Amino acid sequence: MTDRIRTLKLTSALVLGTLAMSQQALATEELNALVWCDHTDPALIEPFEKKFDVKVNLKEYEGTGAALAIVEQSQPGDWDVFVIDGVDVPRAIEADLLAPLPADELPTDDLFPALVMPENHTKDGEVYAISEKFGYNTISFNKAKVDPADLNDMSVLWSSDKYKGKIAIYDYYLPVMGMVAVGLGKETSGLTSDDLPAIKETLFKVKDNAKLVGEVVSSQTALATGEVDILVGGGEWVTAGLSADNPDLDWVLPKQGGMRWSQSIGVFKDSGKKELATEFVKYILSPEGQAKLATSSCYWAMPANAKAGSVLSDQQKTALRWDDQEAYIANSQLYPAPDAELDAEMQDAWTEMLQH
Amino acid sequence: MRKTWPMVLSILYASAIYCFIFLPVAVLVLFSFQDGRFPIPPLKGLSLRWYEAVWNDSRLVEALVNSVTVAVGSSLVAVLLGFLSAYGLARFALPAKGLQRALLTAPLTVSYLIIGMGLLITFNTLGVPKSLLAAGIGHVVINLPLCFAIIYSQMSDHQANIERAARDLGAAEWQVVTLITAPMLWPALFASFFLSMTFSWDEFIISFLLTRFDVTLPVEIWSLLRSGLNPKTNAVGSVVFAISIVLVFLLELVVLRNRRRS
Amino acid sequence: MKMAGGAQSRRIDLGPWAFVAPALLWTLAFFVVPFLVMVVVSLWERVGTKLVASWTFANYLKFFERGHFFEAMINSLEVTAIVTLLSILLAYPFAWIIAEKVPQRWQRIALVLAILPFWTSYVVRSYSWLLVLANNGVVNQALLGIGLVDEPLDLANSRTATVIGFVHFFVMLLTLTIYANLVQLSPNYRKAAADLGAGPFRIFWHVILPLTLPGIMVGAFLTFVLCIGDYITPQVLGGNNELLMPQVIMLQIGRRADFPTASALAILLMIVVTVAYLGFARWIRLERA
Repeated sequence: MTDRIRTLKLTSALVLGTLAMSQQALATEELNALVWCDHTDPALIEPFEKKFDVKVNLKEYEGTGAALAIVEQSQPGDWDVFVIDGVDVPRAIEADLLAPLPADELPTDDLFPALVMPENHTKDGEVYAISEKFGYNTISFNKAKVDPADLNDMSVLWSSDKYKGKIAIYDYYLPVMGMVAVGLGKETSGLTSDDLPAIKETLFKVKDNAKLVGEVVSSQTALATGEVDILVGGGEWVTAGLSADNPDLDWVLPKQGGMRWSQSIGVFKDSGKKELATEFVKYILSPEGQAKLATSSCYWAMPANAKAGSVLSDQQKTALRWDDQEAYIANSQLYPAPDAELDAEMQDAWTEMLQH
Repeated sequence: MRKTWPMVLSILYASAIYCFIFLPVAVLVLFSFQDGRFPIPPLKGLSLRWYEAVWNDSRLVEALVNSVTVAVGSSLVAVLLGFLSAYGLARFALPAKGLQRALLTAPLTVSYLIIGMGLLITFNTLGVPKSLLAAGIGHVVINLPLCFAIIYSQMSDHQANIERAARDLGAAEWQVVTLITAPMLWPALFASFFLSMTFSWDEFIISFLLTRFDVTLPVEIWSLLRSGLNPKTNAVGSVVFAISIVLVFLLELVVLRNRRRS
Repeated sequence: MKMAGGAQSRRIDLGPWAFVAPALLWTLAFFVVPFLVMVVVSLWERVGTKLVASWTFANYLKFFERGHFFEAMINSLEVTAIVTLLSILLAYPFAWIIAEKVPQRWQRIALVLAILPFWTSYVVRSYSWLLVLANNGVVNQALLGIGLVDEPLDLANSRTATVIGFVHFFVMLLTLTIYANLVQLSPNYRKAAADLGAGPFRIFWHVILPLTLPGIMVGAFLTFVLCIGDYITPQVLGGNNELLMPQVIMLQIGRRADFPTASALAILLMIVVTVAYLGFARWIRLERA
């Protein structure tokens, strides 16, 4: 008798289990997104997952070249959403990777005007991507140790050894080489191979002054522990998260200007879930999504949608320096957007600098 | 009897090395309780908030489950393949035994990075998507030689005699293997399984290269590390350490009890 | 399901192969074939974002032409040599103390303690050293506290930091292998040598050291292979002030998906490891009990 009851229990448990599993299998429609690390914050993704009952798979990458390679080595339809550097959107459109977006459903009019970038996002009247977040690669520093006035002129990084051994360089070739180019009075949009020798030479001088070249954590650790006082390539995305614990950490755009980075988001042409992917884009661009993206755990930075201002707290807006954006935008240039060949040359120069 | 100064020197030296070995662990654990954003001195106060953050991070928890799955799965396969091949090579007359042994142990001399890269490029060429399964396959590649070497080294002629006796009494080959050889070798099987688990559990570069959305814990910790300075990393590290220690302790209990019995 | 059939199993038939084949096939499919694929790809070229089968040695030539690739190999060899040597020098006396000075019943616990930090996550371990060695990390605070230095030492983000991170791991590993070797020595050897009038130093030099050399060499080779192929430790601790081979290889993969160049560099690294293996080979033998 007890045996039979046990069997019954076991069977029903099995049936229930199978049911539950198939239910789960039904529910988990999946959306695959190729992104920068700020999109991996659960606080950003979970509301969307709940609302549309989908699972968003996120893959981080570093650098557009790597992202394009990942896409190329995948099967068509593997990817649905693409987050990419704004300056590289034309490359993606050129490679026929992106699908047109329904322009009338996007909050383009709410964006900061400089972030609309139609020359990058639009081709033959179709919109292929939209800006979602932006910020600056410039100079972060420790106020208590460094005279902010010194950093008003970027050339202090290479023409003097006042801060020798107290400098860290952020390990990403595009913005730092772009910054150096700006410091040398060049336009980042028109860089060619001919500009490289001068940039490289200057970069090597900066390296001579530097204690380390590091990714986010080693740079932040070095800044926080006082090992270095200046981070070349840093900006609000490095210091905004840390300033609560160390208010001396600050950042500045020198008189020569700095790099403005912007991320754009689009939908893959081969995606089988374009509608859902478009919903994701709309969610990210909504004021709520924008506020969460701006303050996501990987790095903080300005939302592209000015309406996010009503969702962010005053304290968050201060950390993001919401009110200074107009001046900053005027004094910053976009990332260099090299073609594949120049890109390879820049990377080689960067590797050489590391080994220098 | 014994002169005292060598003893004093020994104690000093051993203490110094123990300090060196435990320094990073102690600091890691201590600052996982830091009540603030920076896991460095000064210690501002004790708090459990970073452990809470780990517990609430679904990606980390998922990665932990993935890691256990991959470690157990790949270790089982590695031990099974290692055992079968060790048995085959130790008990049968096969041609080119030396070559076979060399082939089976060859991955031991190759860096994980290179093994992972080879698999990455091959899978890419074949259009096989990145996945936990792919990482698991890589883990079998690195652990199989180890399992084979350990089990092979424990196959003695004494056991061969018992196996022969069983065969003479009419046992089929599969019965000999499962009922005679495997039980006799269980310490070696267990040791190789445990070792494989340890290596797979902590392996980074192969998993990093071969996984995509579902990742193992070391890979998730690596992205955590790259996303900013934060005592959360300390907390994860401490949790991993605690889990491992409990496992090692359990293993000690099992092995010790077994030894007492024999 | 009778495969080899009773006592005739010594005959060559398909039965024995059934035991060996799965492992052999696995190794062939997921180790040998990928290696061959890598060799083939290393002769290709990456043009733009495409791989082109151009059958060229250009990627290998790059290694010798571009100073920073070649330098990476030199750096790797230097760091690995320093790490291997330091680890042996530190671990040998430690293993010896555990084997000789610690009472029998405490030896096991002493050994387990010595390798306990093995079980911290390896990625976290490097990060932890970064915090320990930082300017206001524990080490510098202690040194400043006891007045040994006036200024914090620049320990983190340097080759020193990389070496410390490595040595920490390999001291544990080598302590284990050398200890295993030491306890296997029969005390009779030492007694015999002492009876013949040898002092402690001569006993060590002429008896114990030669007998433990195979254990040391196996450990040294393991150290060499694991160290020269490691990416995390130099990446986290080295501060990118110099690049080692694995970092250069990962740069090719991670930043530009340049598999041909990465393959060529990996194969060159493998050749170096193979040469080292041949040097160590006389001590590394697979034996059955």
